[in-house]
Amino acid sequence: MSARAMWVVLRKELLDAFRDRRMVLVAFLVMPLAVPLVLAGTTALGARKQAQQLESRLQLPVIGAEHAPNLVDWLRQRNVEILPAPEDADAAVRTQRHDVVLRIDPEYSIEWRAGRPAQVEVIFDSSRPLASGATIARVRGLLDGYAQTVGTLRLVARGIHPAVAAPLLIGTRDVATPESRFDLSQQLLPYLLLLLAFIGGMQLAIDATAGERERQSLEPLLATPASRESIISAKILATALFALTSITVTLLAYRVSFDLMPTGMVDASFELGPAALARLFVVILPVVLLGATVLTALAAFARSYREAQGYLPLLIFLPMVPTLVLMVAPVRTQLWMLAVPFLGQNQLILRVLRGESISAAEWLVNVGAGLLLVAVAWVIAARLYHREQLAASS
Amino acid sequence: MLRVEGLRKAFRTRTGPVQAVDGVSFEAPDGQITGLLGPNGAGKTTTLRMLYTLMSPDAGRVLVDGADPALEPVRVRSALGVLPDARGIYKRLTARENVAYFGHLHGMDDRLIEVRTQRLVEALDMRDFIDRRAEGFSQGQRTKTAIARALVHDPRNVVLDEPTNGLDVMTTRSLRVFLLGLRAEGRCVLLSSHIMQEVAQLCDRIVVIAHGRVVAEGTPDELRAATGCANLEDAFVHAIGSDEGLFA
Repeated sequence: MSARAMWVVLRKELLDAFRDRRMVLVAFLVMPLAVPLVLAGTTALGARKQAQQLESRLQLPVIGAEHAPNLVDWLRQRNVEILPAPEDADAAVRTQRHDVVLRIDPEYSIEWRAGRPAQVEVIFDSSRPLASGATIARVRGLLDGYAQTVGTLRLVARGIHPAVAAPLLIGTRDVATPESRFDLSQQLLPYLLLLLAFIGGMQLAIDATAGERERQSLEPLLATPASRESIISAKILATALFALTSITVTLLAYRVSFDLMPTGMVDASFELGPAALARLFVVILPVVLLGATVLTALAAFARSYREAQGYLPLLIFLPMVPTLVLMVAPVRTQLWMLAVPFLGQNQLILRVLRGESISAAEWLVNVGAGLLLVAVAWVIAARLYHREQLAASS
Repeated sequence: MLRVEGLRKAFRTRTGPVQAVDGVSFEAPDGQITGLLGPNGAGKTTTLRMLYTLMSPDAGRVLVDGADPALEPVRVRSALGVLPDARGIYKRLTARENVAYFGHLHGMDDRLIEVRTQRLVEALDMRDFIDRRAEGFSQGQRTKTAIARALVHDPRNVVLDEPTNGLDVMTTRSLRVFLLGLRAEGRCVLLSSHIMQEVAQLCDRIVVIAHGRVVAEGTPDELRAATGCANLEDAFVHAIGSDEGLFA
């Protein structure tokens, strides 16, 4: 391998790529605009929805409101608008026409007067926690409050101290630091970052190998004294540099979008200063190199540009796996996990964003395992480049 | 000087193995144009690909100025200027940048590249488009750029696979003049073609290939004498055994 040949190929590939207007547009305009928009959009939407659900007038259809006039009055005083009951309550909830429907049992007044538990039913759909979770919690809280108030009054009326019925006093203390209080956008960020890192250079990688072959310029290139190892390394480096530049612009755009958002809209306290950015770079660098190498190997393996692009869905899915696993089964980070590609990086990105410290051993395991994988992928890519079919396909 | 000794190469295909090159030997001396003539599918391109190190032979060997590509690939590649069958150039680079890229890959410095490029621009008449981006080049402009790129490092040996493929009459004529110039400079020129007239007109020595084998070899006169045909065209048909794919 020769550094000189690598430099020659690297320079040409970057020149070639930066003259491709479509490629540059996607990497340096579309991505930096789309990512902050998606992240900020979901955050703003979430914040607004939450505020609405907590503070706005709650519209609550009640079945059998006439059976419990006191309860209904009490709800009305607490900013609840009582609506007439829908014909089919279950269907109304399932089709999202209403988040919650309250049903008061016809026996309610009889049981109430007898001092027995009177039945009310909250009809809701638990499969949409994001959409209706806050409303459900609010209705339950109101009902609990009413039950407690009346219960206390009943105890007092019988000459019993209310504390008798409250053996536990439960206080809560949230130890989350401002950085660790996550909103949705920050859960999406690690995945988007890893995805961008892994396949951000996709177009360049496919173009530089599958495209070069399809345009019939690979054969003359391989007939020059530049070794195939030099050529492939330069193409991988060009892909990685392109992806890194695109990510940098995207991250900076994201940071700027933070400052532009109205305060209170997002939790702007999470860490994204220069130090955190630098740490993020160290985390994603092996992923960028791995992506560039895997993409180049795939482009060398595929018989055509189209075939190479066909592997894309698989590559998009790969960085998603650990995020999905963590969503379903959140685990405490253990050292070995940091060696697992994507899972380790995902964990570290979260910790960088939360402003947590990362030990030298953890860095070593994560970055070391990542680079080792890059080396393996590089060997495979180089072997694929030595196949005779590579250039002589026709 | 190029020397090929007992080259063999087989490919696996879906319908079974195909012996593309089946014991090809010939020599292309310096200061001469040697033509590799044969119908399509005769094994010309595969033979050339083994010559310029893109493929390794199953048996036999290649010598480029005495160097074996299997042992000294870099020396062989430096001594060769290759216009392969695939002659794509980079669309987003200018013709000059395309040529300079290959000069750099051959380890040349900027000044030398500039001097060599200038000489090739004049020899190949590329002044009109040398600083234009290759997007939208005509077939002739593309071929000229590819030839300039192949010769920028001033190689002693020049290998061209079907150099006149797809070129119009005028470009073919100027290319012929250019190749004769290379011969006059004492270089070894080896070109392949399936067009009999072209080879007959241009080449000092002709190697006729059919079905992966050399079926006849020599100067046009020697070929006529060997086959007993007064007409060169009849001599080729006689050597190959059929006239399939020989006439453009």
